[in-house]
Amino acid sequence: MRRRSSNATLYLVLIIVLAIMAVLNPTRFLRVRNFYSMAYQLPFLAFLAMGQMVPIVGGGINLAIVATANFTGIITAMLLRALSGGSPLEASTLVILVSMLGGVLAALLAGALSGFLIGYLRVPDILATLGTMILLNGVNIVLTKGYTLTGFPDALIAIGNGVFLGIPIPFWLFLAIAVVFRMIMERSVFGYQLYMIGSSYTASRFAGINTRSVIMGSYLLSSLFAAITAFVMMGQLNSVKANYAESYLLVSVLACFLGGVDPLGGDGRVSGLVLAVMILQVISTGVNLMRMDPFFILAMWGFIVLVIIAANHLSGRFRLQRPLRGLGQDSGLADG
Amino acid sequence: MSDFLKLVGIKKSFGGVQALKGIELAVGQNEILCLVGENGSGKSTLIKIISGDLKPDSGELWISGRMYKQLRPIQSLNLGIRVIYQDFALFPNLTVAENIAYSQLVETQDRLVNWREIREIAARAVELVQADLDLNEVVGNLSVANQQMTAICRALTRDTRFLILDEPTSALTKKEIDRLLQVVRDLQAKGIAVMFVSHKLNEVLAIAERVAVLRDGELVATLDREEATNERLVELMSGTRVTYSRYEAKPSNEPPLLEVKDLSKRNCFQDISFSLRRGEILGITGLLGSGRTELALALFGIDPADRGQIVVDHQPIKIRTVKDAIKAGIGYVPEDRLTQGLVLKKSVGENIAAVIIDRLRGWLGLIDNRAWNAAVERWIDELAIRVTSPEVKAQTLSGGNQQRVVLAKWLASLPKILILDNATAGIDVAAKSGIHQIIRRMARQGIGIILISDEIPEVVNNCSRILIMRKGRIAAEVETADVTEAEVQQLVELTEPRGKGEGMVASSL
Amino acid sequence: MRKLLKQTEFYLALVILLLSILITMYNPRFLSAENIFDLLKSFSVMGIMAVGVLFVLILGGTPDVSFTAIAQVAEYVVVIMTLRWGGNILLAFLTASLIGGVLGRLNGCLVNMFRVPTIIITIATSNIFFGLLYVFSQGQVIYVIHPLFRRFSEIRIGNLVSQHGVYFGLSLMPLIWLVVLILGWFVLNYTRMGRDIYAIGGSELAAERVGIPVRRTKLFVFTFVGVLAGIAAVVHAAIVQSAIPNSLVGQELDVIAAVFLGGASVFGGAGTILGTFLGILLLAVVNNGLTLLGVSSYWYNIFVGAVIVISITISAVQRIRQKKTRVKVQVDSEGWRV
Repeated sequence: MRRRSSNATLYLVLIIVLAIMAVLNPTRFLRVRNFYSMAYQLPFLAFLAMGQMVPIVGGGINLAIVATANFTGIITAMLLRALSGGSPLEASTLVILVSMLGGVLAALLAGALSGFLIGYLRVPDILATLGTMILLNGVNIVLTKGYTLTGFPDALIAIGNGVFLGIPIPFWLFLAIAVVFRMIMERSVFGYQLYMIGSSYTASRFAGINTRSVIMGSYLLSSLFAAITAFVMMGQLNSVKANYAESYLLVSVLACFLGGVDPLGGDGRVSGLVLAVMILQVISTGVNLMRMDPFFILAMWGFIVLVIIAANHLSGRFRLQRPLRGLGQDSGLADG
Repeated sequence: MSDFLKLVGIKKSFGGVQALKGIELAVGQNEILCLVGENGSGKSTLIKIISGDLKPDSGELWISGRMYKQLRPIQSLNLGIRVIYQDFALFPNLTVAENIAYSQLVETQDRLVNWREIREIAARAVELVQADLDLNEVVGNLSVANQQMTAICRALTRDTRFLILDEPTSALTKKEIDRLLQVVRDLQAKGIAVMFVSHKLNEVLAIAERVAVLRDGELVATLDREEATNERLVELMSGTRVTYSRYEAKPSNEPPLLEVKDLSKRNCFQDISFSLRRGEILGITGLLGSGRTELALALFGIDPADRGQIVVDHQPIKIRTVKDAIKAGIGYVPEDRLTQGLVLKKSVGENIAAVIIDRLRGWLGLIDNRAWNAAVERWIDELAIRVTSPEVKAQTLSGGNQQRVVLAKWLASLPKILILDNATAGIDVAAKSGIHQIIRRMARQGIGIILISDEIPEVVNNCSRILIMRKGRIAAEVETADVTEAEVQQLVELTEPRGKGEGMVASSL
Repeated sequence: MRKLLKQTEFYLALVILLLSILITMYNPRFLSAENIFDLLKSFSVMGIMAVGVLFVLILGGTPDVSFTAIAQVAEYVVVIMTLRWGGNILLAFLTASLIGGVLGRLNGCLVNMFRVPTIIITIATSNIFFGLLYVFSQGQVIYVIHPLFRRFSEIRIGNLVSQHGVYFGLSLMPLIWLVVLILGWFVLNYTRMGRDIYAIGGSELAAERVGIPVRRTKLFVFTFVGVLAGIAAVVHAAIVQSAIPNSLVGQELDVIAAVFLGGASVFGGAGTILGTFLGILLLAVVNNGLTLLGVSSYWYNIFVGAVIVISITISAVQRIRQKKTRVKVQVDSEGWRV
């Protein structure tokens, strides 16, 4: 139906990175236990990256994604505590489900705010999600008063921490969601329209695509992924806090770039993104095994972003003609 | 007479396409040379080479007797070459005064800015062309015509030797054009060479001393004023003798398909009333800024009208969004196919499917590949779009083929009414007549077509009726059987808007 | 008057005035010279960096978020250098500006080289700067810094006595901020460089056509941001009397928010020094007011977020309205009923 670019380079990079890490950690890397721990950690980044890919494909970005995840976690934790009468560890299944639903709704509310600002008011995505992010960070810190909330029921912990048929539950979740995500992005009408809008907002509008609702949908979907990330995170850390995982904002963007998602929107495959997440996980695990300073890893992510940007620049992949912003172009018809 | 500019064997190609195939051209020191050619003939490439925006692949530029292999933009400016682009290249956030003075500021290389000097420079330039401009107004708030005046004023601030005007009159009224031509003559008297780039031959003939004709990257002729006639130029530009055949619509007594009553939109158009029958091709023409595009955009729901009535098939409807328009069976082919008509980064197939995507849903609401392929292939065939596969990106296509893709996108939705807004602008003659054939075929199939164009021959020959818009109103309505192209041209430039309740054919004829 | 009503600065000033009156009504200490001096001093670091951010935002595109990381690096390095080799405050400023300038210039080069939004590039570089600083410093906090910073911070202009009998005066820090503000104002309004920045923000294409050195101007702006970050770093070290590797990082969003509040546009080409000053001042007044009213300082973050969201909403709605009333056609408007 629609031709897509090949992922050959990404497979090659994955193999090379695996080889390098195996050489650098001769005794520890190629062990079943190590791959098990990668399978356990990967979904967290994968969900965040998927949540970032949706708005980027639509020509935007969601800077509030980590803040939304923390918001979801905090709301869920607080609901758990409130609905279980102060003993969240013994919460019933119904209470857990209601709390999680509350968390999801909170995330969707945050997504709706960004989506409204961007889709309906045409506020630039970076500014809108920056505003949402700052607002959520504020709400998060007021709700938690800066404390860490901890102590969750086993059923919730299992989402991030459980094992099924010898494979971590989050990895099962990841497999299932990746398949659904791929259908949404590459086979659904919504996905098609999102790629069109990301390629050309104006032309999409002139083709009768409801840009407002598609953009709104993209930020809702992005926030839904933030909520899923939050549940995995709660299970793995058994706690929530106002400012967990803030550095993962960059990593989520990085995964998209590495996976071949065009930073200007309109292009990128889910399979590429998944490969990119795998590459980043291998690097992260490998470097951890070498007992590297976590801040060195932070610097390394930054460096990898620049390398990818440079590589893409050299290959001419994301190079576009200079956008014309002169008066002649701004007929004032594109918006409104 | 020595030449200010002499081009020798200028060649330039993009990708595999040769845009300029060895241009030899000279412009005298105070000569007015007109450069004409159809869109895509290489005019803008040539301008950009002279202005230093592009490097030629080979050839020489001689300026005031010195030879240059290529120019950098700053060099070109310092040599006294000024280009007024179609898009003006102004700063929308700065004032008129600063916009006008900027070229000179750049030239003087002063590190500090003297605001009084800026005002003086601007005031002098405004005085020179006697423009009515508020120096303190921010340019983004100006009308198109005033923005152009600002651009012209800017070009005159520095020691200008050679002025290139790229389609300068497209946004101006007759009065403004006359003043512009006078300004150009005054400049010539001051010893400035002018290159006037236009496709409006009547203006060209009014001002040119020599006319250079560009076609497919080649300079096909340079005529003196006496040799140049309208017919000759058209022939040279297109390479063939254009013979338009008139479209004869079969008269029908059917009730109208579309009725528009007193449609108005503030600052855009007012009291627009007309009707369109099934199978009719209705022409709308008028100057840029006459409100014709705004009217089309209102009917298409991009910028809805404030008040008035729209009736489609006896059903009064409200058009607030593009979706409403599509639901009513209205499609729109814009002039600007590159940003409005097509998603260039996406494939031909993806572009064709855009409007009908909701009908291609299958299992689970996912896109049904078989239905997709069938629809895409059908419309590629139907409009004879020349592509190797539907997966080819739209940006790789030629202008004519691109416009066919836009048409395919709308025809796939089986519209009742199709609005074409200058849809053949920038397409070569052969492709243009291809598009005209498609339009006529659609009309014969019963689609009502509104053909908006500023090319008088296009509307006169394809339409049965023409509405002439001016200053946001319908100034006249003519049956094409009764008029000649020249008469319509006159109407466009001269007519005052007709008052309410006045007769069909404008009395000014 | 009508022009005044259209300006962001006017409304900002109005809001600040109203807030000040409200706060003073609850706690008159707000308007005391001591409190105001204190407030200005503690926000001078953000204020200095905000001027750099303003320049980037006028230039157009997306904000630079790496300036706090740059300041962090400059602060740490200068504190260590003075501890080891001594020196004076001028030298400290010079070194910090130099370090900041070099790192900022690096950003500028990357921005010029690649067509990727500034925010992406600077998120990356800020991770690199900050990460490497942590690796090399091992996260160590330096509690005892060279006395030259203390001497510098204790210089006071005026000698007043508070109600509690404490001597106080206007610290030099707000004055440095003032100098930076004046410098920024002068550059933006009275130099070619400043006008070029506005012009590029208005239309980069037009800027190139008119012969403005676009790349050089961008390089200057990013270097300038770095230099200001360096200056802010020394001021910060003097105020807090320590070097903590993560004491500045995290403030970048507040600074950017303040500059947007002050009327800078994401589309570039707009924004003023006065607006930027008022934006920071608003944050300062709110922060200070919450403390004086006994409200948890956590609410400050919500407030900043809410103000940002509300102000972008208002300006977006205004833009849509403006577009509606923009004249597209000079309609012959006889008989037009409004």
